[in-house]
Amino acid sequence: MKSKLVPFAALLLAAMPNDLVAQEKGGVINVATIGEPPTLDPMTSTADLVGIVTQHMFETLYTFDKKWSVTPLLAESLPEITADGKTFTVKLRSGIKFQDGTDMDSADVVASLNRWTKLASRGKQAAGFIESITAPDSTTVTIQLKQPYAPLSALLAFNNSAAIIIPSEKQADTMSEFVGTGPYMLKERKADQYIQLVRFDGYQSRSNDSDGYGGARHAYLDEIRFVPVPDANTRIEAAVSGQYDYVDALPVESFDKLKSAAATQPMLLKPFGYPVFVFNTAEGAANNMEVRKAIRQALSMEDMLAAAFGSTDFYALEGNIYPSAFAWSTDAGVEGNYNAADPEGAKAAATAAGYKGEPIRILTSRQYEFHYKMAQVAAEYLKLAGFNVDMQVVDWATLTQRRADKGLWDIYITHSPFLPEPGLIGSLSTSSPGWWDTPARKTAVDTFTAEADPAKRVALWADVQKVIYAEAPFIKIGNFNAVSSISNKLQGVDPAPWPYFWNASIKK
Amino acid sequence: MIRYILQRLAGMIVVMFLVVTIVFVIVRVTPGDPAAVMLGPDATPQDITDLRARLGLDKSIWVQYFLYIGQLLKGDLGHSIFLNMPVTAALMERAEPTFFLTIFSLAIACVIALPIGIYAAYRRGSFIDQASTFLAMLAASIPSFWLGLILMQFVAVRHNIFPVSGYGGPGASFLDRMYHLTLPALALGLVSSALILRFTRASMLDVLSDDYIRTARAKGLAERRVILKHALKNALIPILTVLGLTAAVLISGAVVTETVFGLPGIGNLVVSAVLRRDYPVIQGALLVIAGLYVLINFAIDMLYLLVDPRVRY
Repeated sequence: MKSKLVPFAALLLAAMPNDLVAQEKGGVINVATIGEPPTLDPMTSTADLVGIVTQHMFETLYTFDKKWSVTPLLAESLPEITADGKTFTVKLRSGIKFQDGTDMDSADVVASLNRWTKLASRGKQAAGFIESITAPDSTTVTIQLKQPYAPLSALLAFNNSAAIIIPSEKQADTMSEFVGTGPYMLKERKADQYIQLVRFDGYQSRSNDSDGYGGARHAYLDEIRFVPVPDANTRIEAAVSGQYDYVDALPVESFDKLKSAAATQPMLLKPFGYPVFVFNTAEGAANNMEVRKAIRQALSMEDMLAAAFGSTDFYALEGNIYPSAFAWSTDAGVEGNYNAADPEGAKAAATAAGYKGEPIRILTSRQYEFHYKMAQVAAEYLKLAGFNVDMQVVDWATLTQRRADKGLWDIYITHSPFLPEPGLIGSLSTSSPGWWDTPARKTAVDTFTAEADPAKRVALWADVQKVIYAEAPFIKIGNFNAVSSISNKLQGVDPAPWPYFWNASIKK
Repeated sequence: MIRYILQRLAGMIVVMFLVVTIVFVIVRVTPGDPAAVMLGPDATPQDITDLRARLGLDKSIWVQYFLYIGQLLKGDLGHSIFLNMPVTAALMERAEPTFFLTIFSLAIACVIALPIGIYAAYRRGSFIDQASTFLAMLAASIPSFWLGLILMQFVAVRHNIFPVSGYGGPGASFLDRMYHLTLPALALGLVSSALILRFTRASMLDVLSDDYIRTARAKGLAERRVILKHALKNALIPILTVLGLTAAVLISGAVVTETVFGLPGIGNLVVSAVLRRDYPVIQGALLVIAGLYVLINFAIDMLYLLVDPRVRY
């Protein structure tokens, strides 16, 4: 009888939402990450790894729920925005304590937002629109804008280059004390060995239900230890052996191996993001829009994705910049411009565009093996179309330096998670490497960023996507999924692009 | 003797100066930018320029070089860009795993290589001799990281006897840390044992055919005493040389093995620093590694004096 009931109970347990499974306090988990974060100050870096670790220590005014809508975190509610879209009033929650025992008030928020506009890449992006940040009283902050800027709420919610709230007296440019309001606080960091976070007993959770990054955050675990394991193969073996409770960023090839492991199981985030070929629109052969479109016409996104990710379990062919799960998803401009795989047509188009065999320098890195695999397939299609391909394989640090120089490349390969707010997509900015700056871009993007009404913004995003396909500043290759692993003893972890471990607990 | 030591010390200073200069230049001319790595993929060019200025990387290479030399003369290896700590402190932190990994690997290598090498020479042409020669060839041909991966697969993943990676978490005891070192030490020790075994065998063979060994045997000394006291003592110089060189290689960081096993040692620090373009750490670590090489070679030369009275400088 018992043997029949156990699988049934297990099935029932697995089917229950995480919130309903009994969760108890206690336990320590080890999380294997892809490396050591360059800093623990999430304002000063846009690296995902920085966000993953520090989102447990620091909090922002807003965050994102499961549907990627902005939801309040340290703010009491969503901002009140005046009809002209130029005044944001933020009501703060009361009773919030910093990890040093002091109370959070509007002075801390004003000081932190000023630091954000001074130091953070995303903060500087917003700074151009901000007239002033003031505190009318101890629980209210007002952000006065020079002109309407709709992405502001999303920027305030993001976890890297993040508008974290820290005490007003701890605002030095180089952060030396890591004091936030998050459910976990830093106990010890031994670089390249571990980052040890312990529960912050004074944490004030929101009372509403947990919802993605939003809602209640329960610190069930006593400790979270982030351990850098840079070698991908070692991460796989460590996951299979059960040495780590959660292993991030595993190669998709390891999925079957993880499925058959006794101590752990794979976790699939579907979809995670999209690989992108970014064109240098400022100089070189790709400066010519028709050449860029000819390059796009030559490419088979299907073959590139298959080479990079192997099975359709891990990728999907989709030209819409946002997949269907997002409100932003639209097929505007996609038809006929995606996955054409037509080298012959591309050859004719390139010749008509005046292409005369100038080198097409593809800058890629093996730091992300799927970039390199896609570059190899792309190079063959481009050669078939008569392009003179010069593939430059460098390490990631070199790539990030070279892509800043307009004279050194024509295409560079990168990837991005699906950002909750399209305004955050780097390539839409004129200063981002690629330097896309045309009247059509300006009209479409400026109108989109100035519109406050969410429904109208969805329609305006379709216009932006149409311009992206019309001018080809970058090419979306498709959607890809992310694989991580979770030990059988850990519960309450949902697949997320920046995995978080509040609400996680050890099964008893 | 004193003159010789002074000459060697002067030579060391020249070598270290050249190392400092060459490393500095190579690091600076290598593409890549620590500011871009630190700020992440979405940083704007202006952010990168601002950070480069804050880090002093906007100055000319010569200004940076003379500032660095000035720092070194004051005994300061600089400040890590990424770790936000002095390079000396970072190196001290990483020295422990590397030091114990070296000792552990050398101990494993010696325990395997010395007795087998001596016995193989003593029983030249026997099955043990031939088998040990074959196995030594095999071990010398295997990259230590590959052996590490195989050990990881069988010992750590399948049988869960040792951890796959890391050096123990916060508060890990000495024994726990050594437990984490066992697999990488085995991988390095087995591979290092091949060279030591071959040198031990060859050196013992040279000595065993000398007249004084025949004399010792003729005097009726026990065979064990002949081998271990008379022969081994005289065969030690080349063995010491290879042990010293192996130690130098290991202490300078078994780069790939440390990376594969996620050990926070000096080799791992150098690899991470190169990937992050953490210039002060690369420069400081390579300077210390070069210094260790020079010192170990010097120490071995001095040891010759102890084991062979005929050696005079």
